Amino acid sequence: MTSIEETSNDHFLRLFTTTEPALRGFVRSLVPTTTDADDVLQEVAITLWKKYSEFAGDSEEDFRRWAFGVAKFKALSWRRDQGRDQHVFSDDMTNLLAEDSESNLGKLAAQRTALKVCLDKLSPEQKSLVEVAYAPGAKIEQIAQSLGRTAMALYKQLHRIRNSLVECTRTEIRKEDW
Amino acid sequence: MTSDDQKSIWMEEYVRGSASAETVAKLEEALREEPDFREPFLEYLNVDLALSLEAAFTPKKEDAPLSIQRRYRVKSLTITSIAAVLALLLIGTWWFTNHESPTFATVTNRVGAGELEPGTNLGEERVDLSRGILEIKSARGAHIVVEAPAAFQFESDQQLRLFYGKVAANVPESAHGFSVLTSTGKAIDLGTEFGVDVPQDGGDAEIHVFEGEVIAQAQNGNRKNILGGEAFSLHKENGGERELRSAAFVLPDEFALLHVDGAEQLRSKSDAVLTTLRSDPALIRLLDFESEADLPEGQYRIVQGRWPGLRAPEFVETGDHIKLDVGGNRDLPQLTLAAWIRLDRLGAPYQSLLHTDGWDQSNPGQVHWMVTHHTTMRLALSGNTLAAGSSETQGYPDSITPVLPDKGRWVHLATVYDSDKRTVRFYINGEFDSESRQDVAHPARLGPSEIGNWDLRDRKLSGRIDELILLARIMSDTELRELYEAGNPYR
Repeated sequence: MTSIEETSNDHFLRLFTTTEPALRGFVRSLVPTTTDADDVLQEVAITLWKKYSEFAGDSEEDFRRWAFGVAKFKALSWRRDQGRDQHVFSDDMTNLLAEDSESNLGKLAAQRTALKVCLDKLSPEQKSLVEVAYAPGAKIEQIAQSLGRTAMALYKQLHRIRNSLVECTRTEIRKEDW
Repeated sequence: MTSDDQKSIWMEEYVRGSASAETVAKLEEALREEPDFREPFLEYLNVDLALSLEAAFTPKKEDAPLSIQRRYRVKSLTITSIAAVLALLLIGTWWFTNHESPTFATVTNRVGAGELEPGTNLGEERVDLSRGILEIKSARGAHIVVEAPAAFQFESDQQLRLFYGKVAANVPESAHGFSVLTSTGKAIDLGTEFGVDVPQDGGDAEIHVFEGEVIAQAQNGNRKNILGGEAFSLHKENGGERELRSAAFVLPDEFALLHVDGAEQLRSKSDAVLTTLRSDPALIRLLDFESEADLPEGQYRIVQGRWPGLRAPEFVETGDHIKLDVGGNRDLPQLTLAAWIRLDRLGAPYQSLLHTDGWDQSNPGQVHWMVTHHTTMRLALSGNTLAAGSSETQGYPDSITPVLPDKGRWVHLATVYDSDKRTVRFYINGEFDSESRQDVAHPARLGPSEIGNWDLRDRKLSGRIDELILLARIMSDTELRELYEAGNPYR
């Protein structure tokens, strides 16, 4: 490997690592589940890496624009590839969400930061449920069975936890405004 | 409006990945119809993401002790309150359609979504138009085009009061004397085609006459005859001459060319092409002016774009511009520039499209893109020279087909530069126009630039620009044809 290639690799890694949190958030807003978002993000990363030698911009902001462009493209083709069993939004709605998500970049990043504070406010039971349910590869049905509960009950409780966290992050962000 | 609880349930099913087709469709409808719901929706997805990231970095605990609460309630709107709302809506519609009122004019056609359906009769009521373009025919036969946002009211079949917005009228003999009233004065037709622009922020009204003659009458009674090709600003006290801005109005004959149906369809076709471009690694910048957060710096105002619902910047005053800093300090062996433009008129010495700051032979390859007053499109790069025997007389690569302001219609312009082949190719409305050969051809350079002006000496772009594309590669004839077709607002 030549030193020029190393420099280019370093450059790519630096840009990608800086952009990754925002990019992940952007992709998440375009597909139904976190697993879907992981799949799309993987595709995006591969494309960015493969085509990096043709990248015409030079700033972090240029890279972010391009990465978001690729992400939207991949999210749209992902949704077209979904079989009839997976129900997804139309192209138009995906475009609309992409626009909103991109114009709320800062806010969404602030929300993810605020979430760390909010997680501490959950009860120990709520915290453990989140940890188990969100663990990689977790199956809600199995967790429910081991707890002697229905899967539906767990889904509902997770939903309430997410809603209370959304509320809490709003309060936290407002505090920072003062 | 869907109840918050209902939306919350749909959201949960969606995020779980088990929403039915019906639920997804309902959720999509709610997101489309209620823009205020989109932010909480994105917040919810974002929290879901943040939780999965947290959990991924938390060491897994085996058999974590859990006690799950069983109690939860799902609130629902009572049937009676829904019925009450429906009843109110029905009574309102019935009252509206049955209320007697004289008919001064009729909505004959509409482009884009909007408040009034074609066929609606207009009496004395005030109309607030937030979306779309309306074509209205007065009882005496005047053709009137109103572009949103606007508020107006017919006071008789010969008088239209314009609170704000843009109105263009084509007045046949049967309707001579048709007038448009504004808070600062009025325009009385003498057999013509004219436009009146009343800014929403309360600025002075302007009268633009395209053909024939109009009397401008200020509030104090002072009158002035304005002929075709002239424009006039109505101040409270008197008035002043203005430059004619044909691109500022949709005239009745242009309205007839716009796609009346399927503006949404056109938009998704255009979106598909732009989405592909946005993922192109060679893309330097694509400006479509649709997202508020992505509006570039500068001095301009945002007006309606190529079709209702789309936005574009408008340049009116000398020195209006957009500031860009793109492409960095890099050599670009190939460069494609493309944009939709809508010119008020030709300007001397030229209408600036994109000018990099300065013009310095020590920085060869600097790009200047413009429409000259000889009606040609020009791409000049500093330090470049034309090949011997070139037909251009001005020393720069110029297109052959004239780029006419053609009563302010939208036209698509593109130019493709290749420093390796030493060629400049011009395209107008997706059609290849001509190829200019260079003798010296430096790689193109961008950097700090202005759209609509040049930093060294004020240049004017009078009109609108939309969907500006800067791409660090060659676009083929086919690609440019497709780009034009996807974005063309006319049938």
